[in-house]
Amino acid sequence: MLSYIVRRLMFLPVVLFGITILIFALISTLGPWTLVATFIPSPDAERHVDLEGIIQKYHLDDPPLKMYMRWVNNLFHGNLGWSQSSHMTVSEAIGNRFPATLELTLFAVIPVIIGGIALGVISAVHHNKPIDHTTRIISIGLWSLPDFVLGLAVLMVGYGILGWFPPGRLSSWAELEVLSDSFRSFTGMHTLDSLLNLRFDIFWNALRHIVGPVFTLACLWWAFMLRITRSSMLDVLNQDYVRTARAKGLAEKDVIKRHALGNALIPVTTVASNMLLGLLGGVMIVETVFNYPGLGLLTSTAATRLDVPCVVGVALFYAIILVLVNLVVDILYSVIDPRVRLE
Amino acid sequence: MEILRRLVKNRISLLGLVLLIIFVLIAILAPWLAPTEHEDPYRIPRRGWTLEPTPPSAEYPLGLTQGQYDIYYGIIWGTRTAFRVGIIVITFRALIGILLGSISAYYGGLLDEILMRFTDIFMSFPYLIGVVVFVSIFGPGLNNVMIPLIALGWMPYARMIRGNILAIKQEEYVMAAQAIGVSDLKIITRHILPNSIFPVLIQASMQIGSIVISVSALSFLGLGAPEGYADWGQMLSFARNWMLGEQGNVLKYWFTVAYPGMAMVLFVLSWNLIGDAFRDIMDPRIQA
Repeated sequence: MLSYIVRRLMFLPVVLFGITILIFALISTLGPWTLVATFIPSPDAERHVDLEGIIQKYHLDDPPLKMYMRWVNNLFHGNLGWSQSSHMTVSEAIGNRFPATLELTLFAVIPVIIGGIALGVISAVHHNKPIDHTTRIISIGLWSLPDFVLGLAVLMVGYGILGWFPPGRLSSWAELEVLSDSFRSFTGMHTLDSLLNLRFDIFWNALRHIVGPVFTLACLWWAFMLRITRSSMLDVLNQDYVRTARAKGLAEKDVIKRHALGNALIPVTTVASNMLLGLLGGVMIVETVFNYPGLGLLTSTAATRLDVPCVVGVALFYAIILVLVNLVVDILYSVIDPRVRLE
Repeated sequence: MEILRRLVKNRISLLGLVLLIIFVLIAILAPWLAPTEHEDPYRIPRRGWTLEPTPPSAEYPLGLTQGQYDIYYGIIWGTRTAFRVGIIVITFRALIGILLGSISAYYGGLLDEILMRFTDIFMSFPYLIGVVVFVSIFGPGLNNVMIPLIALGWMPYARMIRGNILAIKQEEYVMAAQAIGVSDLKIITRHILPNSIFPVLIQASMQIGSIVISVSALSFLGLGAPEGYADWGQMLSFARNWMLGEQGNVLKYWFTVAYPGMAMVLFVLSWNLIGDAFRDIMDPRIQA
């Protein structure tokens, strides 16, 4: 087990190497002139800038290998470059925005997992009965809703008509409170911090802002989770040992709880990492729709302004998270299913 | 044929099939449903120059969105964009996947190991973010969205085809063919490929709906199709500025969201309905 974890951790640099090479190959298709040009705000400024000088100074015409080594060296020292779209270094921007996205994802994951599994089990137990058909149609319907269309609809109803769930992350008065000295920031997640500061008005405000994006994300992944659980549960319910359990006269409730559920959940854990992948992508769109200042909004704004360092920085950051999450999922997998031996 | 019969028999998948046929007809009949007015049929005609959307009228049944772009025209020609984008991306994904997957499975050994690690690296990348990286380097555009969607989407097919081929190689009928001296080429084309490619192709075609969502989402963010291009996601990005209506009349511009949104949802729904039924048909364990 330990050797497996160590080996998987050693795979992390390999993945990062692959990804940096890929990204670098893409970037280096841009010539030194284009690279410099992206830093020039207006054609007027171009006349006052010594382009040749900049290319010389930053060694932009070096051979690719040398440039790559220098770039990776910078990355290792936490220097991801300057983000022109957010006017700070990329590492600062990521550090600022990450808690917001983490908060959003955590809020979304819990209802998705609990609701999805519960409904998937119900659906499978009542296979081909009306309740199964209903949940199935609803889940296909939800899964077919593009996240931005659903987001727009939620914003229209929740904010436009009802006025309950405003976009953004905090109202401006709460924003000022959070930034003031009397408010101690523990995690950067406003709902948690406000509770720790005993500021329930801010907690309520943050909660109202987060409902819209969480609901949008949860709807889509709830449908996904439901479908996976349903088919995995159906699979298990057809197995011989379940038939044996029924044959020896066990109550249906116990058959499902004691015998079927545990095994049905094994494949579900493997899709957890898929879900995280999807959530990270979905977060980008949902945050943009709701104007929620997390990593997703950072990425999409940076991309529309062709702010390469920022987008690349976020991509690398996501890649690391993803590898680590996959590792955790694998370990969890072996804990849940004793038949799996990690070697 | 058997599959088709079962698809028609199931009411849910029949609905999907009917929806899909309607979309195919719209795409084919686009030049008659919405006659082109420019040289480039994918440019939505403008009926004026004011920014504020105009509600549906007798002349423009679905209304005009921001900048007076004709919503009806955009939806009709957007159907073609959706099919084109989905089919191109899926074809190349499947081709690359099948090629690399079968090479990996046939030759095995070190090459297999390298190719699979290569696949792992590609898989450890959140693909929507990968597309954004690509677009931020090469600039927005429909092609610049499709290329990374292909490059970051072939891995599941490579794995699937590799697994299928490895399993089929061990099947008795393949061994029987080998035993009676059938040539390798014939075994591959007659026995292995037909049994390993079809599940992959069907799986792949069912992904068209989700690809259309991804591309539209990127257009929505302003990274895909340019302004005025007949693409549902691009049309919805206009709606972003208007969906909250005005004071006292929140739903004033409902048509900017509702019509393009409906077209997208129905298109994706049709693929998902068929796909869901397929999964049950293909899965021999759920025959009861």
